[in-house]
Amino acid sequence: MRHRAPVGGRAVSAAAQTPRQERRQLLIWLVPPLLWFTVFMVIPYCLLFYYSLGSTEYMTFKPGFSPANLIRVFRTEPYLSVLLKSARIGALTALGATVLGYPVAFCLAFHTRTPRAKFLIYLLVIVPWWAAYLVKAYAWKTILGTNGLLNALLLKLHLIHEPLTLFLYNQFSVVLTLIYIFTPFAILSIYAQLERIPTSIVEAASNLGATTFETLTRIIIPLSLPGVLAGGIITFALATGDFIAPALLGGPNAIMISNVVINLLGVAFDWPMAASIGIVVIGVGTALISVAHYLEHRSQARF
Amino acid sequence: MNTIIEARGLQKHYAGSVAVKNLSLGVTEGEFLSLLGASGSGKTTTLRMIAGLEYPTGGQVLFQGEDITHVPAARRKMRMVFQDFALFPNLTVWDNVAFGLRLRINRPRVSSEEIKVRVGRYLDTVQLSGHADKLPHQLSGGQRQRVALARALVTDPPVVLFDEPLGSLDASMRKIMQIELKRLHRELRKTFIYVTHDQEEAMGLSDRVAVLQDGELLQLATPEEIYARPESEAVARFIGTANILTGTVQAADGGFVLQLPGGALLSLGNGPSGLSPSQAVTVMIRAEQLRVNSASPQAGGGLAARVAERLFLGDKVRYELELAGSGLRLTALNPNSAGLIAVGDPVQVLIESSHVCVIGRRSGAAR
Repeated sequence: MRHRAPVGGRAVSAAAQTPRQERRQLLIWLVPPLLWFTVFMVIPYCLLFYYSLGSTEYMTFKPGFSPANLIRVFRTEPYLSVLLKSARIGALTALGATVLGYPVAFCLAFHTRTPRAKFLIYLLVIVPWWAAYLVKAYAWKTILGTNGLLNALLLKLHLIHEPLTLFLYNQFSVVLTLIYIFTPFAILSIYAQLERIPTSIVEAASNLGATTFETLTRIIIPLSLPGVLAGGIITFALATGDFIAPALLGGPNAIMISNVVINLLGVAFDWPMAASIGIVVIGVGTALISVAHYLEHRSQARF
Repeated sequence: MNTIIEARGLQKHYAGSVAVKNLSLGVTEGEFLSLLGASGSGKTTTLRMIAGLEYPTGGQVLFQGEDITHVPAARRKMRMVFQDFALFPNLTVWDNVAFGLRLRINRPRVSSEEIKVRVGRYLDTVQLSGHADKLPHQLSGGQRQRVALARALVTDPPVVLFDEPLGSLDASMRKIMQIELKRLHRELRKTFIYVTHDQEEAMGLSDRVAVLQDGELLQLATPEEIYARPESEAVARFIGTANILTGTVQAADGGFVLQLPGGALLSLGNGPSGLSPSQAVTVMIRAEQLRVNSASPQAGGGLAARVAERLFLGDKVRYELELAGSGLRLTALNPNSAGLIAVGDPVQVLIESSHVCVIGRRSGAAR
């Protein structure tokens, strides 16, 4: 016998939704983020690409469809060399941040017994981020400058007789500042990975007779590689694109690609050239991140 | 037989809590010793202190008579099988097993040919030869367990420690691994120290069982002894199904009887030495030593009771009994061949005096 329960049937349809209704509701939830993504990411990227294909005449933009500017990035000095220098500074920063951040992350993950101590270290890592980047960059200026803290200390110790100028306004000061600024990112991403390693694995290694060094090189470092790579990508990307540190502490020898772009935009009014550099940076960056992401995925052990 | 490991007055205090109070025990070379206890009894902490993964706050650990209390874990001649197996997720099965042989601690270094031979042999022993190139996450729970075993055994340690190694396996796998462990112990003749909360596992596998509670050793004896003659109520309750009764000793012709609350009398026979009339004692009777018979009006002897609940367990029938007069509860496990008795029926409970085990006594008169 076929029969429908009108009351019960209606009750069911009110509580549970048909797939179509569900899809419609999902769409409503997705509209704001999609809108945001389109307006602030997709359209700007398209505009950037559009500008990069144009040219300038008497400091005004002229639309066009020529890859000349994109080619110029690679052919005309100083763009390519500045780009490479920026990448080198970024790589040095990533390296420095990793080398400095790893022991901190390691301590945080394995040698901090009480949650309170853990929280304290965590706080110390994050607290500098409550101060503005600009302020911190200026702070390094007062440390490294001719009349700065470092010179004062060295004079006091009679290690030098007159202030040295080699600390400031070069690549060294830029890399140092960038390392200081971005190390927390390396610490946190390495720590997040180390935190996943069960303590029993470390205990098993030492139970089998491994020294601390052997446990570190054979087990812990290989297992933390994804975190190291993730931290490396973040610090590299942030440092390569930085413009405050080179502007404040860099001097003529440490101009980075963002400074060049700012000059092209604000001083030379060569928007197509600036856009072309942007496109190249985004392209190279995407490629690098893809490779690193692939390596990160491959080195990720499954616990 | 030599004592290979000895714990002397071991203590472990954490901030605000005590894991191990004052524990002393000796492990005989070549034996299979279980540390049995509920969670929080201090059994795992004790094992970890023996392994050197935790340092005691008091007392000593001795290895072949030598104080190793402060020797780091890496330099102790023991290998451990962890509860979560603790395999290295970045290494293959082969490399996991070979790990201990490739370390600097081996002097002289183990040659690569020998590593090949030994890893191969132990992978054979645990029947994992075909899985050497797999990563731990590609294995089943039982297979991971075997890798952990091979990894612990390959360096040929005199002592192997097990921290609830079968806890995360399903029931059927656990049974298979129990037999495997028993076989390995017999073949390798190493000292096994085995932590478990499963009394059946401890009884079945071990030469001796140490029962722990609240960080203290209650009893250390063979499984048979612990089962038949527990030294305390706690041990009796922890293992098997025990009936614990308290009463007053009275002299009777040819020995003693125990007068239970409500007036029922339980024969103690000649009893253990040192019993005296009007002494208050606690006795233990195993549930399977109670004979439950349908009460016939003229039959004398035994305790009069009533069946309060009946559970059919297949090979056995479990009766929850209520003693006449006092309402005391007893549990009896009878073979099902004895026939079923209905709930509510009056029964007679027969207990042989040799099965009554005195586990506690207070001197002097009761009340």
